[in-house]
Amino acid sequence: MSVLGDTWNVCWRELIRFKRQPARILMSIVQPIIWLVLLGNMMQAITPMLGSGIKSYLDYMAPGIVVMTTIFGGVFGGLSVVWDRRLGFLNKMLAAPISRSAIPIGKMIASSLISALQATLILFAAMVLGANVATGPLGIAAVILIAMILCLMLSGISLALGAVIKNHETLMVVMNFLTMPLMFTSNALFPKNLMPGWLQTIADWNPITHTIEPIRTITTNGWDWANILPNVGIIVVMTLAVMAIATLVFRRSIS
Amino acid sequence: MHSSIIKTKNLTKIYSGNIKAVDNVSFEVEEEEIYGFLGPNGAGKTTTILMLITLLKPTSGKATVCGFDIAKEQAEVRSCIGYVSQDTAVDENLTGRENLLLQGHFYHLPKEVLEKRINEVLEMVDLADRANSLVSTYSGGMRKRLDIAEGLIHRPKVLFVDEPTLGLDIQTRHKIWEYIQRLREEAHMTIFLTTHYMDEADKLCDRIGIIDYGQIKVVGEPNELKSQIGGDIITLKFTNETNNYANQTLAEIKKLQSIENIVPIKDSYNVVAKDGETTVPKIFEVANKVGATIESISLKRPALDDVFMAHTGRELREETGSKEDLMRERIRMRRARM
Repeated sequence: MSVLGDTWNVCWRELIRFKRQPARILMSIVQPIIWLVLLGNMMQAITPMLGSGIKSYLDYMAPGIVVMTTIFGGVFGGLSVVWDRRLGFLNKMLAAPISRSAIPIGKMIASSLISALQATLILFAAMVLGANVATGPLGIAAVILIAMILCLMLSGISLALGAVIKNHETLMVVMNFLTMPLMFTSNALFPKNLMPGWLQTIADWNPITHTIEPIRTITTNGWDWANILPNVGIIVVMTLAVMAIATLVFRRSIS
Repeated sequence: MHSSIIKTKNLTKIYSGNIKAVDNVSFEVEEEEIYGFLGPNGAGKTTTILMLITLLKPTSGKATVCGFDIAKEQAEVRSCIGYVSQDTAVDENLTGRENLLLQGHFYHLPKEVLEKRINEVLEMVDLADRANSLVSTYSGGMRKRLDIAEGLIHRPKVLFVDEPTLGLDIQTRHKIWEYIQRLREEAHMTIFLTTHYMDEADKLCDRIGIIDYGQIKVVGEPNELKSQIGGDIITLKFTNETNNYANQTLAEIKKLQSIENIVPIKDSYNVVAKDGETTVPKIFEVANKVGATIESISLKRPALDDVFMAHTGRELREETGSKEDLMRERIRMRRARM
């Protein structure tokens, strides 16, 4: 019972901190909106190549941008551990009789909840710009939920690296280095079937692809469970594995 | 007679790279005592605290806190101690009350108790009127007080305070000392603190252990340690031209009745004498006779830095720390200025 309580307390702190930094909320959604406007117009001409059922490139890319927002949210999830260590807050938590695992898990959940908010804002922004969600409010909820799972995974990776690297500059560089390749070797902005074979193979292994696939199905197609369930299954399994590893790495880094 | 609430036996910590941070340290702290580790930066003070609060595993040796083994009964140790780090680790983006609330939750205090306790500790450190302001608006002294309040929220039996007044101004330091003394009196707490400030150890601690290069050099009450020096301290320096006569002069000075000891310190000498005031003129007489000229001379009652010097052979002064320490220092200074 106390593990859950401890996890919530760690998470609560992160949420309050986020709430107190309105600039962070704003900045985290400005960039994706710029992408939506720029790319949405620039790439409009390739719409016919995107396959049946896709009416505009904006419809196609909106899921990609929503996921991109959660990627940015997730990859910096590990920064808070680095700062807590540096400012002594980590030691303060560790000196208290709280569950050691509660610290990484609480932080991962917090960064996932924060991403959910950002992803929702971006999805609404895309809809204002003209993107459609075929499945309505329930579809929107499902999209956000799937994006949150991905965010848990990425913040897990970031946190595990942060526990080992212990230096925020290096962590930023490493995570930035991971972000762009992850995006561009997925089907976030460009259809997989138009990629060269080797890139398709990479895309197949990229968790981003398996996140965008069901989200895109939900927003452009409908409740096609045969497509949604296997993909969601894959990212859930990957996420649980990453979270377990991140928690272990964190625990080892403090003992 | 009180019993010992902290006991260590041959406690040792060797960091990777074969750096012996704490070297065979054995000491005991009694209940309701204010016990201080006095030593320069890098002497092993913080490492000792981190081991006692279960955040670092000792390389060898044993220790118990509140009767619990720090290596085997970590959860029990954590529940009975409070820790106030030198970093003043309060969250700037939370209010004072929120910081305390979070800390209380970390110690699993029930809701009704926590509400009461928060008001109580806020009152104790005089922050009740600012409790609902963001910590980012607090001064350095207020942050430290909040930090100490957080360490008290679960009424620990032992409070560990690492460098309680680092980077604070004089008035604030005196206030913090008052708070710490009140804690012992009102809450019957045992306090283990570390400091590299002489006056802090002198004014605040019942007993101090002088630590240098990871080893405890001597333990005792401040007054007792000072009186062990054996008299007043006369520091004298010869002019460069007559430095050749120094040894001869010192040999003659040593023959004076009141002299206890002579220790060379860099380019000057510390003469310990029972009755400083009457000894100074005699030293001049001796120097004149031998032909040495004294460039400067000073007389003082022994202070803790003399105790430190007598036991370690060097001065206690601030040394430059690692890059990380410097950065922390800068963060601290920035806060202190706000």
